[in-house]
Amino acid sequence: MADAPKETPLKAVQVEALVVMKIIKTSAQTFPSIATGTIVGMEVNGVLQITNSFPFPAVDVPSTDGHQDSASNAAAAAPRNKANITYQNEMIKFLREVNVDANNVGWYMSTSMGNFINANTIENQFFYQKEMNERTIALVHDVSRSAQGSLSLRAFRLSPAFMTAYKEGKFTTENLQKSGLRYHDILIELPVTIHNSHLVTSLLHQLPSDAPKEELAFPPNLAALQQDPNTPQPPLYPNFDSLDLSIDPFLEKTCDLLLESIENHHTELNNHQYYQRSLGREQAKITAWQQKRKAENAARAAAKQPLLPEDEWQRLFKLPQEPSRLEVLLNSRQVEQYARQVDGFTAGVSSKMFAVKSNLLPGE
Amino acid sequence: MSERDSFLHLARPLGPAPMGAQPSTAPLNVVIQPQAIFSILDHSLRRPVDQERVIGTLLGTRSEDGTEIEIRNCYAVPHTETAEQVEVDMDYQKSMLALHHRANPREVLVGWYATSSELNTFSALIQNFYGQQGDGTWPFPAVHLTVSTAPGKEIESRTYISAPIGVTAERAADSCLFIPVPHELKYGEADKSGLELISSAKDREDRTQAVYTDLESLERAIQHVLDMLERVSTYVNNVLDEEATPSSALGQFLMNALSLAPKVDPADVERDFNAHIQDVLVVSYLANTIRTQIDLSNRLATAALTLGTGDAPAGDAGNTRDGENKGGRGGRGDRNKGRQQRAQEA
Repeated sequence: MADAPKETPLKAVQVEALVVMKIIKTSAQTFPSIATGTIVGMEVNGVLQITNSFPFPAVDVPSTDGHQDSASNAAAAAPRNKANITYQNEMIKFLREVNVDANNVGWYMSTSMGNFINANTIENQFFYQKEMNERTIALVHDVSRSAQGSLSLRAFRLSPAFMTAYKEGKFTTENLQKSGLRYHDILIELPVTIHNSHLVTSLLHQLPSDAPKEELAFPPNLAALQQDPNTPQPPLYPNFDSLDLSIDPFLEKTCDLLLESIENHHTELNNHQYYQRSLGREQAKITAWQQKRKAENAARAAAKQPLLPEDEWQRLFKLPQEPSRLEVLLNSRQVEQYARQVDGFTAGVSSKMFAVKSNLLPGE
Repeated sequence: MSERDSFLHLARPLGPAPMGAQPSTAPLNVVIQPQAIFSILDHSLRRPVDQERVIGTLLGTRSEDGTEIEIRNCYAVPHTETAEQVEVDMDYQKSMLALHHRANPREVLVGWYATSSELNTFSALIQNFYGQQGDGTWPFPAVHLTVSTAPGKEIESRTYISAPIGVTAERAADSCLFIPVPHELKYGEADKSGLELISSAKDREDRTQAVYTDLESLERAIQHVLDMLERVSTYVNNVLDEEATPSSALGQFLMNALSLAPKVDPADVERDFNAHIQDVLVVSYLANTIRTQIDLSNRLATAALTLGTGDAPAGDAGNTRDGENKGGRGGRGDRNKGRQQRAQEA
């Protein structure tokens, strides 16, 4: 906001291990529909520490209304739901009793393949930044990308420029020109770090980790080797899932999503063109009317009659409303997101492929 | 904790059984999901200064016959404990349970946890409360999970169920027999990536870790595999040089592993490789083209008015439609496996 410079702006987000696990759990449970919930924590010197979270109640979709779109819409709109705000406040009140930071700092949502930049997300975050607290964030956990190897957890806020524009609700070409708002400026991404408590660190040292460094006793036979309960489990870190060599599903899905975005973009453009055409038509009509009136007035002036008013066209004709360009902006941002996602994927997968090739065809 | 204790049930656990029902002799097995443990540890950190241990409720799922219990979630319950008496906030426990039920209707009450390994009279009292009829877990036994959180010591967890015991009727409420049951910590596929990130911070002084990119985690995984291969090959070389003790079991294992390597024709490899790498590169190229087109479209759309209203937006629309066609063709080509078309595009 305009008064933000007085305080230090949020610089980074620090997420407690507990919150990471909780978000993953609820997201995985509700997949493929969207999970949403509240995060609580506090802010220290521009770093937002997120220390706990809880999910919103499952959305009851009437069974008669089997349409999937409305179900996912309802799930995505959950953070703005009245009942959920009550739920959230009640939960926070209870959490305060057990010394949890009782401070609402935003909300989280799960998504799939980075497909989260839409009107719903924006509206939720706007709601939080406007109603609750300016310093709130949206944590986005990407379930499908996390399944491929490394965790995808990102934190977003709406930019002050976008907040102002959204408050006015006017996304006309003229406004956009004046404010210079571009689709890159809608969301600000904050760097996310993970923080472990001492106890968690202690626990992690008991979980499977690296293979033992010292010499081990030899197993007497093969069966003993395979069934020995003390054979170390694959370590948690590094995660060998990222060596997985599946390419097509990812590309296929991303292409589908990209196509969808392009189609949306196309529809929006058509709307806009339609508007331009009808605007042109109306303007032509107005000019014709004005000319006619002028000619009439000239005739009247010649005949010494009183002149007719020349600004009546404002009543007679109505200019069409310009469609909002918000959808276009969001769509553009989404496309950019997909493109970056593909870039990142390509980088990893091409190196993996070259590795496999040189493994299968040594000496080339 | 990750190692499974082996349990031998000489007598079947004396858990309470519903009247008339055939008591099951199958041992009880408890599975704990990591988020529950994390939550308990967090609660332990946030305990009031004057309190040694804190307690809370365990939520989870139970198999039909009650022999498999999965602890998925938990929440803290405030309580005060003095030398003479213990007080648990029952109202809090009930309303919190109701709140959790609204978010996760499938998770039911399975028991309670405490953050010290000690079992005492108060434990028995609370255990009887959780296992009672009505609000408790009756007819199934309530699970009691203890997680020791003493600083500087290993975190040790134990699970118990209880059997009623009492010398006299008036002492029955605050006494019970805790029977240890086996438990294990299990994480799902979805948790893996999260745990990876969390455990990557375990050896760091500040206990923090930034979320890293796919490429970084790939690099680390490859590095790790290389190290392990190095270790195995050193061992094998040492055996060949008669410096290390050979083991036929290990040899067999390595043989089996090596025989899994696929035998493929070099030409096939070459062909598949080229086809795939082209797919990947084309999609990447097209995605970036589309991004540029969209960017251009946005710039033109907002630049329109300065040039006059009439023609500029039309030009802009034409421009992006071009981009759309291009992207559309590439994307569809990929889906239909239109290899030739893609080759042309590339």
